[in-house]
Amino acid sequence: MKHLSLRFFFLVWVGMVSSCTTPATYSAPGTVRIRWARDPENLDPLVVSNTSAYEVINLTHCSLLMGREEAHDFVPWLAEAFPSVERLSDSLLLVSYRIRPEATWDNGAPVLAQDVALTLKVMNCPGLPTEMDQAMFGFIRDIRLDTADSRRFTLVCAGQSPEHIRSSGDFSILPEYILDPGRQLRTVSLTAMRQQPVQAAVQALARRYQRLRLARHPENLPGCGPYRLSAWQSGRYLTLHRKPKWWADVLSAPPAQLQAYPTTLTYQVIPDAATATLALRRNEVDIYGLMPAAEFTRLQQSAEDRKRLAFYTADSYEFLTAGFNVRRPVFQDAATRKALCFLFDVPALIKATQQGAAIPSAGLISPRVADYYNDSLPLPVFSPTQTVGLLRQAGWQRQADGRWQRKVAKGAPQVLRFGVSYRAGEPAFETAALQFRAAAAAIGIEAELRPTEQAVLSRQLQAGETDMCIRNYSGNPFSYDFTALLHSRGIGASNTMQFSSAVTDRLIEQITSTEDKQKKKLLLRKFQRVMAQEVPFSVLYFQKYRVGASRAVGRVPVSGLKPGYEAARIRPMEAPL
Amino acid sequence: MPGLVLLRHLLRTVGSAWLILSVLFLLSRGATDQRSLLQTMVESSARLGSLLEQPAVSQQLLQRYGLDAPLFYVSWQPATGWYWHGFHNQYHTWLTQLLQGNLGTSYRSEEPVLVLLGQALQYTLPLTMLAATLSIALALYLVAATGYRPIVSNWVMSMAHTLQSIPLFLLALGLLLLLANPDALNWFPAFGLGPTGPTSTSWSHPQALLYQLTLPTLSLVLGSFPALAIQLNGSLHQELARPYVATARAKGTSQGRTIWRHALRNALLPTVTLLTELLPSIVAGSVVVEVIFALPGMGRLIADAAVQQDYPVLLAGVGLVAIVRLLAQLLADILYPLLDPRIRITA
Repeated sequence: MKHLSLRFFFLVWVGMVSSCTTPATYSAPGTVRIRWARDPENLDPLVVSNTSAYEVINLTHCSLLMGREEAHDFVPWLAEAFPSVERLSDSLLLVSYRIRPEATWDNGAPVLAQDVALTLKVMNCPGLPTEMDQAMFGFIRDIRLDTADSRRFTLVCAGQSPEHIRSSGDFSILPEYILDPGRQLRTVSLTAMRQQPVQAAVQALARRYQRLRLARHPENLPGCGPYRLSAWQSGRYLTLHRKPKWWADVLSAPPAQLQAYPTTLTYQVIPDAATATLALRRNEVDIYGLMPAAEFTRLQQSAEDRKRLAFYTADSYEFLTAGFNVRRPVFQDAATRKALCFLFDVPALIKATQQGAAIPSAGLISPRVADYYNDSLPLPVFSPTQTVGLLRQAGWQRQADGRWQRKVAKGAPQVLRFGVSYRAGEPAFETAALQFRAAAAAIGIEAELRPTEQAVLSRQLQAGETDMCIRNYSGNPFSYDFTALLHSRGIGASNTMQFSSAVTDRLIEQITSTEDKQKKKLLLRKFQRVMAQEVPFSVLYFQKYRVGASRAVGRVPVSGLKPGYEAARIRPMEAPL
Repeated sequence: MPGLVLLRHLLRTVGSAWLILSVLFLLSRGATDQRSLLQTMVESSARLGSLLEQPAVSQQLLQRYGLDAPLFYVSWQPATGWYWHGFHNQYHTWLTQLLQGNLGTSYRSEEPVLVLLGQALQYTLPLTMLAATLSIALALYLVAATGYRPIVSNWVMSMAHTLQSIPLFLLALGLLLLLANPDALNWFPAFGLGPTGPTSTSWSHPQALLYQLTLPTLSLVLGSFPALAIQLNGSLHQELARPYVATARAKGTSQGRTIWRHALRNALLPTVTLLTELLPSIVAGSVVVEVIFALPGMGRLIADAAVQQDYPVLLAGVGLVAIVRLLAQLLADILYPLLDPRIRITA
């Protein structure tokens, strides 16, 4: 009987599976299915904690401005035009916008300056998770509404940095009709929002916002973007549907930032890369962004896969570096740092980790940004001979036991021995570290590899406890503000190399304060030259983003910014190519 | 008297659970630099990137999550000795919330941890329970069927040993590449649960659910049944060599009846520990299988929480598994005397 029941169970299973009618590759017309490595986790527009969340927020909400890679600058999105700017005294900046007249909310009401004012008030509302917003947009001190034009307003910004002009338009605008239906907040100024005791209207706003539970229910606060969330199973998938009538549809020739073609965008969370590749090949997803190099190359080389899949690459602004803690005695002089940089065989590293598809660079500006990249600087070369020569110039002497030592004015002689830290479990970092250690060991330099857990590494970097660190940095084509990374003010925060000098501090300040493109070009080139002399870090290469896509979705617009593609601008084809 | 003994066991289990959870809480919070934990969160923020204000934001987040309070009632300072912090400390707050059934809020998703656990268990329990049931059934069937067939038994045990030596991730990937691969057998979906249609969920289609869960279930079954089968096979062969089995056979009892009615029940006793060990695994899920087949279950929840340092979620997940393990041990203590009346629960 037991034997029979077991056989019966298997028969039922096989029967059910074989009679299964639900297609694994269901895809409605106009739908684009995209692979995500991780869930957005939190879709509160004030929080935006990862790139998946950022992607969704940019499809469901609009900001005043949007960074466009091809323009190398911010362009008007919800704003009618790039804002006009007026400098007031030495410390204030007036940034004036006008919202597009076509822009409306889902209920048909126009998007007005009052919505922008309300958004700023929400960002300054006590009791809401707005710490990060206040850090990013705290420079906006006030908003002045135009009494004659309900779409026009001026933001009063502290400081005069041109970066503030762009940042002032880089937050999602939230609807007043949902967050403050009684318009009680209109009488409360932005300054009053921060004051104690908290006013009753402000407390009511906080309560209303919290009741919406936007972290998990973003549909409770529809934005003025082209899509609305229709389903979200956390950790599984998320579906966005295009609004049947979106305000930008009335534009006869919408600019790229106002184009939205797919009727449905389905994001499927598939953490494992091998599974995601199979899903792409099985037509279970259409787009696989940020593909690992090995998988991408393997599919590209398969004739069968080339028939059904298209492959794209985009030069990104993400670069791999080897940085030195310049406060460590052995790294205090530029000659030693420069000498060690000759131990990275960048072409071999690019071949090993990126299948040959990455761009070596002389500095921290991508070579594709031709205007600002200093092309007169030499690219990194692998030359242990030059390392030996430079080390000797720096006062190091090779001992009988093969080690390197140098005498110092006081105390015991220094030994050229240090640790190389990197985030554990990251193959590219590990390969670079192993390659460096092998080259260093060959000439008697002791480099100890220290793969470290992310949080521990982060603490060590901040505390200045590392020697040398291999890590990634992400840049973008819109901002050239290196204050956090390389200014003396950044030490203790993001300046983990602890590097600063009067010259570089001044150059960074000049770069951030100039709007003159020609002047900026000269300053940036000079800055790269100084950095090449000081060598607080060595840029190993700029990565490429790889996108594998089904030919059924037509041509995929790719981007050097994460996630590597522009989902809204994909035009799914009726018949595959 | 057995009731009293059982009550003692129960109280001991409750005490152990409190101790384990407290140690987990204090270790997870005490061993981590909370400032750097939040710093990692801030750095990984999609937009905050590299702002000078990062340390200030971290400080504000410390306050929001209550991490700026002392960890425990007392602390030791080399200069001043022991210092009493009173009841305003992280442990006291956590314990009070725990007694009220509040496991806290996730740092990442801002969602109550209890809700996240419920969502994850919704995916894990059907998968792991199905896999556990199939593993037990398969182990029982194979061992019983080969009890009197030494050649087949040896062959089956060799296969079980081989399977046991293969890491689960290799098994799962192997199945995936074999059975969901356009280059091999393209029979099953590459990942677990996708949207099946514009208006429905997978759970409303049991056929689709079985279809999508076949590979994950098969991976778990192939990963867990060998241990059971090997243990059970050893016990069964010991039992089959005993005089009462020879008596049964001499009285004309068939081989199958001897095994199922007489030998197997006694052979199950050493396997009870293994079976109860399955319980924590059922709740904990399998990180490997859930990651490979894209299932948002407990294993992935705990692993993600560990990677992202979402300590309220991590603590609740690990704590739940620890409590289930304690309950499994209690269950084993109760099952032993039921299976073998010669064993008595003692205090």
